[in-house]
Amino acid sequence: MSTLDLTFQLNGQAVRLQLSPDTLLVDLLRDVLGLKGTKIGCREGECGACSVLLDGQPVNSCILPALKVQGRSVMTIEGLARPDGSLDPIQQCFIEAGAVQCGFCTPGMILNAKALLDGNPKPGEEEIRKALSGVLCRCTGYQKIIQAVQTAAGTRE
Amino acid sequence: MATAFKELHWSNDIPIKAYYLPESLPEALELLKRFPGKARVIAGGTDIIPELRRRDIEAEVLVDISRLPGLNTITQVGEELRLGALVTHAQVAASPLIREKAGLLADGAASVGSPQIRNVATVAGNLISARPAADTSIPLLALQASVTLASKAGERVIPLTDFFLSVGKTVLDGQREILTGIRFIGLQPNQGGSYLRLSKRKALTLPMLVAAAVVTVDPGQKAFRETTLALGPVAPTPYRARPAEAILRGAALTREVIREAAAAAVQECSPRDSLLRGSCDYRQEMIQVLVRRSIQKALGQAGFSLE
Amino acid sequence: MRNQNEGKKEDPVLTKERFDFQQLLQTPQVKLAVAGQSVPRTDALLKVSGKLLYGADYGQEGFLHGKILRSPYPHAWIRSIRTEKAKSLPGVAAVLTAKDVPGRNGFGAIIPDQPVICGDKVRFVGDAVALVAAETERIAHEALKLIEVEYESLPAVLDPREALREDAPKIHEKGNLLSYNKLRKGDLTTGWAEADVIIERTYQVPFLEHAYIEPDVTMAVPQADGTMLVEGPMQAPFTTRRNLAAVLGMPINRVRVRQVPMGGGFGGKEDSPIDIGCRAAVLARHTGRPVRLALEREEITIQTCKRHPMIMTIKVGARKDGTLTALAGTIYDEQGAYASLGPVIPPAGGSHIHSMIMMPGPYEIPHVSVDAYLCYTNHPYGGAMRGFGAPQVHIAHEQIMDELALELGMDPLDIRRKNAFKLGSATATGQILDQSVGLRETLEACAGEFDWERRSRKTGYIDPEKTKRRGVGVGMGWYRTSIGTAGDGCGANVYVHEDGSVLLFTGITEMGQGSYTVLPQICAEELGICLDQVRLVQPDTQMVPESGPTVGSRSTTLMGNAIIQAARQVKESVLEAASEMLLVPVGRLDAREGRIHDRENPERTLLFREAAARAMSRGKRLIGQGWWTPPPATLDPETGQGNPYFVYTYSTHMAEVVVDVETGEVEVTGYVAAFDVGKAINPQSVEGQIEGGVAMGLGYALMEEVVLKNGVPQNLSLQNYLIPTILDVPRIKSIILEMPNVYGPYGAKGIGEMPNIPATPAILNAIANACGGRVRSLPADPEKVFWAIREAGGPPR
Repeated sequence: MSTLDLTFQLNGQAVRLQLSPDTLLVDLLRDVLGLKGTKIGCREGECGACSVLLDGQPVNSCILPALKVQGRSVMTIEGLARPDGSLDPIQQCFIEAGAVQCGFCTPGMILNAKALLDGNPKPGEEEIRKALSGVLCRCTGYQKIIQAVQTAAGTRE
Repeated sequence: MATAFKELHWSNDIPIKAYYLPESLPEALELLKRFPGKARVIAGGTDIIPELRRRDIEAEVLVDISRLPGLNTITQVGEELRLGALVTHAQVAASPLIREKAGLLADGAASVGSPQIRNVATVAGNLISARPAADTSIPLLALQASVTLASKAGERVIPLTDFFLSVGKTVLDGQREILTGIRFIGLQPNQGGSYLRLSKRKALTLPMLVAAAVVTVDPGQKAFRETTLALGPVAPTPYRARPAEAILRGAALTREVIREAAAAAVQECSPRDSLLRGSCDYRQEMIQVLVRRSIQKALGQAGFSLE
Repeated sequence: MRNQNEGKKEDPVLTKERFDFQQLLQTPQVKLAVAGQSVPRTDALLKVSGKLLYGADYGQEGFLHGKILRSPYPHAWIRSIRTEKAKSLPGVAAVLTAKDVPGRNGFGAIIPDQPVICGDKVRFVGDAVALVAAETERIAHEALKLIEVEYESLPAVLDPREALREDAPKIHEKGNLLSYNKLRKGDLTTGWAEADVIIERTYQVPFLEHAYIEPDVTMAVPQADGTMLVEGPMQAPFTTRRNLAAVLGMPINRVRVRQVPMGGGFGGKEDSPIDIGCRAAVLARHTGRPVRLALEREEITIQTCKRHPMIMTIKVGARKDGTLTALAGTIYDEQGAYASLGPVIPPAGGSHIHSMIMMPGPYEIPHVSVDAYLCYTNHPYGGAMRGFGAPQVHIAHEQIMDELALELGMDPLDIRRKNAFKLGSATATGQILDQSVGLRETLEACAGEFDWERRSRKTGYIDPEKTKRRGVGVGMGWYRTSIGTAGDGCGANVYVHEDGSVLLFTGITEMGQGSYTVLPQICAEELGICLDQVRLVQPDTQMVPESGPTVGSRSTTLMGNAIIQAARQVKESVLEAASEMLLVPVGRLDAREGRIHDRENPERTLLFREAAARAMSRGKRLIGQGWWTPPPATLDPETGQGNPYFVYTYSTHMAEVVVDVETGEVEVTGYVAAFDVGKAINPQSVEGQIEGGVAMGLGYALMEEVVLKNGVPQNLSLQNYLIPTILDVPRIKSIILEMPNVYGPYGAKGIGEMPNIPATPAILNAIANACGGRVRSLPADPEKVFWAIREAGGPPR
């Protein structure tokens, strides 16, 4: 199987590499590029633990062929912290709200929340729920996750 | 009876040997010709990739059409609305034009899977997957949409009513044709549309039943002029409930006639007993409920209420 | 009928604790500095940054990949198996069959009746018939296809009642009845005679999946010195180790098990790591190379343990005023193909006997009889799942209480007020609840916050079209802290270093519930230091003392006590040193937030670390060791009388639902849950457990079931096994009450499992209240609710 060239922006940096045509984005990120923060829960685009941002929009990387990101920009959870290492407010709010239990859905939740707040800085509760409806959590019952996003948006009552 | 090997042993990979990103339609068609029977077109891939992993389908070559120019727009030409083959569910759900002129399609698109899926999955892909109850094929059927299939020989336009053959199969010749667009006439002032979905939870679920209706009303006569009613899964393909439509044709706007139409819809349908998605009896009951509600909702959207 | 419950007759009165917690509660309450605070999780930073490595994140360089060949029949003889073709595939390192298991070809959390590799027969679809290790997963998968197995299919037993018939095919040599247990209190005949109303109902619940988002994975790494290391996410490192040692034919001290960060467990990862761990270890031992065995999501559903399905018949008698006089129950508890965590561990361990004990509910009933049958079938098997047999019986007793209330024309709260436990009540096993009984308080607190009075009057249609009806429902419950076995104990070690930093060694695992934060909180509180001075060491059986599994809501209480013991022991040395330095008697010293001071002259103070350094230089022992066991569990095997668990957590939930009476769709629109947890060591974490548990209970009520057809699970993936999404779970209000437990650290009891238990019946009761339809066979999905409304003659007008 011959390899193909892939060039894309990853967490603000240009990446150029060769990969085999059957590579899925999640495996490229985790196994080739060593970024383990993106998790695999189901491999069918159902649980959302593998969510990354593609040109700012959430996608399930477990069912996305890696070649689809050619010339585009990808953000993973590792790319969220500021250059000086400090946390994004969403990350900080997740910690403080108690929105992190086992943590397996956390990167997916945070990235979906980021995409929401980037496009809609003051979302209502329903909008938050809809935006996060593609990430399954078995631990938290979602309450503190919603509260964390509200706090990050400055809309928590 | 033994369970199949593939039901008990699962893989984490997709057995693809080549992946192409053609830049033009002729290039894409040429690739299909070069690998007869081994190539599949992929747009968003949200159906195909899991199917490949499950070994439900086989393909060695993927022809990714996301580079093809001019296919990712929603346009209006006269009264006709056109979706390019690369238009995603997210685009449709967020489009003010679709919301205004074909709200039922926007509702359907907004119900698919999850935000992540909607950002990637295309409406065209939803049609090609030919599931009996896909969230956009049902409203498009009610909108009497057509699809454009392009091949080296040119284009042919197929009404959706003739497009689906059986579960997972359409008239599209996968070795020679690519679906490039979808078109339908937007709702007119004396029309209303509706989309309803019955499912076991509120996101990330395949529906138990989907119903979409477009009613055309004769305002002067306070009667139904024409209705299109689409349902699924009640048959191997997305289904137009023509007997129900016939009852409504020319009838006065009353609850009784709507109930009659709902009962007629059940007569013709044959939903299977599904262990996961409901028994035949229940689904028949629900057909009546959803048909009734979708007609009422469409009427409401057209600005008419029943006494 | 087997009698596993041989035991001497013990005095059922609780014996006094070995460690004097009474002292703790009677001294003037010093305000807690660390325990009792909602401190952020110690591992949250790593989790939000994506930096915490879970099992699947570990490097795979040099690892072989293991895969399992699974039986396509629910019940069959294995007539022959040929592996030559598979072995000769390039890249295949091993293809193993039953004869290749070096030690005991059997594993199990309680009884090792599950073959590592099946030799003579298979007992459920998915049973392991061969193991393959290869250079890549793809090659291993191809190798599986090349293994040739000849089966002779046998009739399959797919119902627990069918399993008990004389002529039923035997799944195991000893027969299909794994355990029969009975509870007898008082005299039923008298009880029925005193009743004005008697009703009987049958409730049925299906197999459930844990659906933890992190799939199972394990790594078995043979060490150069001949020992074996197995690591992966798991809740029970010691149970895993014990099984590995037997399967490998090695002594326990040559097997090392390390728990790695876990993405959810819920009881499933008590059992599944033993399964895949033993299989990976056998492959690793055979090949001499590290082996990684990971399960795809669908394989988890096929292979791993589930929640026990049950058919429960319950009959209650009550006087006109609602006082219960008698209760009789029969439980057909479907174990599935292998024993896992079902059977009895004397006196009151294992899920089956727990179900029997909990069947009568948290109510005073003078005459009780329960017969509980645990039956093998050719289905996937039941293990531990949050609640461990209690959720199922709560679904029965909480629903029948409402059905009884309806018969008597009573408010569901009033009938519970009539019968609910209070301090001094006797349970159905004759246990006197002599401390920490907050059940009634949870009922009143919940009713107040939920505004039951007003809301229960506002049930009815909410739309002019009359398609949606609102209703409210209540569910009460109780749940033990501890596992009721004779050997339920916890060890902890605390090492203090000369710079004041502390290492905490416990074998309790973190699966998201917050133990890695709460246990260090207790340690820091007891030592009088700051939380960030304590570092908890990842459980490694080579380093931490025997701790038992992280199950049964036992961790905070049992391990918390062990930690307090260990901390007090080492603190003696530190305080001695401080006493020498401050010239103040030890009895006058207080340690708090990293400082030690003279209670009478607070300005006479020094830093904890200064005292620690001094203690070290004086050769004082800076190692603290704690071992705590609960008051002994007792249960008479003939009558089910005794004190099986030493303390209980109590809870009341109230739910509001809206039912679409034409389609049967249910939406939960309001929710309040109140708990008596003894003491919340980390209130925010307690809330987290409550909220997550309620969501899980909601799933059980409305959408979860493993659908089986001819013994084959039909809904293998998360697309078809439905767990609640964010759109399905309403806002949940939690209320935490504290009736201190004299046997608990700062009064704490367990919380991990209580929350999902009453949620399911609260929602089912609300559905019945809303639409008149009672669903007695779960889940109450739209179709079932629709038929229930039909059966009731249509929705209320």
